[in-house]
Amino acid sequence: MNLRTTGIIISREYLNKVRKKSFLVTTFLVPVLFAAMCLLPTLIMLGAKESAKEIVVVDRSGIVTPFLTDSESVTYTFLPSADPDSVKQALAPLGFDALLTVSELDAEARSVTADVYSLKPLGMDIEGSVNSRINDAVEAYRIETSGIDNLKQIISDIRPHVKLTTYTLDSEGKETVSESGVYMVVSMVLGMVIYLFIALFGGMVMSSVIEEKSSRVIEVLVSSVKATELMFGKILGVVLVALTQFMLWIVLTVSIIALAGAIAGPSMGASPEAVEAMLSTPGLPDGTDAVTQAVAQGGDMGVIFSTLSNLPIGTILACFIVFFVFGYLLYSSLFAAIGSAVENEGDSQQLQIPLTRPLLVGFFIAIYAFKAPDSALVFWGSMIPFTSPIVMLARLPFGVPAWEILLSMALLVLTFVVCAWLSAKIYRVGILTFGKKASWKDLYKWLKLK
Amino acid sequence: MYAIECRDICKKFGPKTALDNVSVAVNDGRIVGLLGPNGAGKTTLIRVINRITIPDSGEVLFKGAPITRKDIEKIGYMPEERGLYRKMKVGDQAIYLARLKGMDTASARRELKDWFVRFGIRDWWDKKVEELSKGMAQKLQFITTVVHKPSLMILDEPFSGFDPVNAEVIRKEILRLRDEGATIILSTHNMESVEELCDDIALINKSHLVITGGVNDIRREYGNHNVELVYTDEAGRHTEVLPSEVDGTPTLRSFLDRGVTVNSYRELMPRMNDIFIKLVSDNQTQI
Repeated sequence: MNLRTTGIIISREYLNKVRKKSFLVTTFLVPVLFAAMCLLPTLIMLGAKESAKEIVVVDRSGIVTPFLTDSESVTYTFLPSADPDSVKQALAPLGFDALLTVSELDAEARSVTADVYSLKPLGMDIEGSVNSRINDAVEAYRIETSGIDNLKQIISDIRPHVKLTTYTLDSEGKETVSESGVYMVVSMVLGMVIYLFIALFGGMVMSSVIEEKSSRVIEVLVSSVKATELMFGKILGVVLVALTQFMLWIVLTVSIIALAGAIAGPSMGASPEAVEAMLSTPGLPDGTDAVTQAVAQGGDMGVIFSTLSNLPIGTILACFIVFFVFGYLLYSSLFAAIGSAVENEGDSQQLQIPLTRPLLVGFFIAIYAFKAPDSALVFWGSMIPFTSPIVMLARLPFGVPAWEILLSMALLVLTFVVCAWLSAKIYRVGILTFGKKASWKDLYKWLKLK
Repeated sequence: MYAIECRDICKKFGPKTALDNVSVAVNDGRIVGLLGPNGAGKTTLIRVINRITIPDSGEVLFKGAPITRKDIEKIGYMPEERGLYRKMKVGDQAIYLARLKGMDTASARRELKDWFVRFGIRDWWDKKVEELSKGMAQKLQFITTVVHKPSLMILDEPFSGFDPVNAEVIRKEILRLRDEGATIILSTHNMESVEELCDDIALINKSHLVITGGVNDIRREYGNHNVELVYTDEAGRHTEVLPSEVDGTPTLRSFLDRGVTVNSYRELMPRMNDIFIKLVSDNQTQI
């Protein structure tokens, strides 16, 4: 391998891709979308506060009214003696959003029926809260009329208020507060990102090979450089594009979120700072500190960020890079071999199947990894090199023994070396073979050619 | 010393033999026509010389020594199927190809600018290749083949796609490069340009070398030695062909004795086209 020419090929491939409009668009658009996704819940909450719904209540039973108290999202107006039908007609002119009617108390069932009429759907939150208030009212009425002394006290004594808090123990027995939902999301994101990256950039290598073959520039190129230099130069150029994009995504996403946090100020709550903290500190030193901090930050969000900050971010990032790079190298060398066999993208569909299927299988096993991270299927999926980059990444947040990670990496690297060697042999012949549409049988024949 | 020498080259692709014991030696500073019908093995031989294809047996010597990776930088190759990156800018692309041949960016840029001026295409530098017409792209391809000053150029059908004016420009450049010391292998089906340009030829048919040698020697060898005599008398100008069996000297003397003016007396050379057809069809029946 001649380093000078390989370097020239890498830099052409890199610059050519990085200067493309599509690269610029995705590089800047994805962080915006990602940041929007992170900020969306906060934004929605901010937006929802602005308009409280006005509900007019016709309560014939009389027991529900005390339970309906105004909140930030809804205000009630009580017209106990109004005629529901005439209110219904005049809802808009009166300036109400909805009408809630509660029937007379049914003495036998000791219950009421209630209906809501609204101009526009009220939304799940408000409907749910109205419904539970009515239930509370009926419950309170039943307790009162039960004839049992102190029933209210008894029930509140009996009713449990248990909240499950999960801790994970590390090897030294330190405990960290955790939330398995967070692990699932992280695992899903990692599996998906690595799947998309490998498919996207592997495909990019293939198109680039096809472009050189169909434009016939290939013959000029191989009269200057060796085919293997061309193939690996191309593969390495594209992986640099991928890593550039990945780094830019991280930097841009963090800066957009930080910027948005700075602009929106305190109304955004603790989230931007927490995200920053999560990205800057690779795990807090002491588990109990994390809990107190989490609780101090307030409620569920605190637990989520505490869980995130307790993930081994450094290990995950290192593994992401290693598994992505070698998974990509493995697939892209095979994609290059496929690309060398065809003259246009359309013809590649058939030949690609043996490559895209294992990737897809890996993705599905990764989904299973969120549910059962320690199952046999997931274990083997994270060992077999064609699925391991995706599945291992999805497994990582749940904790994987070091020997398994290292073994999986070793297998992946070894498979890459073998496949790259085979691919180079096919590529060498394929790029100069024109005319007939190649099949897998042809590829096998080329492999055996000297 | 030979500019390039192929010794006993054999190459098979699966069951198909592309080259069978082909030996060709190319003299330094000459234009050599590599001839042969379609599928004869010309492209394979060219690829073997370029080290694109590794022969099963035999060796290629570059200036007397087995050809190495470094020697490839002294070769310029223009394949029959022309190809450039369609989406790349003309200037960037030319520099890229020159760098792959071992030039540094600065001198590549300098040399290319010179060529662009000479070919009158200076304002193409920032255009994309896909914006060029076929003839324009051919010119660019020719420049990228020769910009690194190769000592050996392999041009496969260099005139195809050119109009007569541009073909003449290329023809002159080829002759100029030869006069400056370069060796040129010209693969073509156009026998007129062989007669016009080539010093030597090598003809390949069915994976075998059929003949190699100087163009004039071969034409003479395959001629019927007929002589053409052009003379002028009172009635005007006449052309007479004397068959080779006739002894020319007494005939010529008798003409001179008659007092006519002899304008020319020369051996008729067969056209390359006829030799090509004869050799290829003879070869056909042999095998």
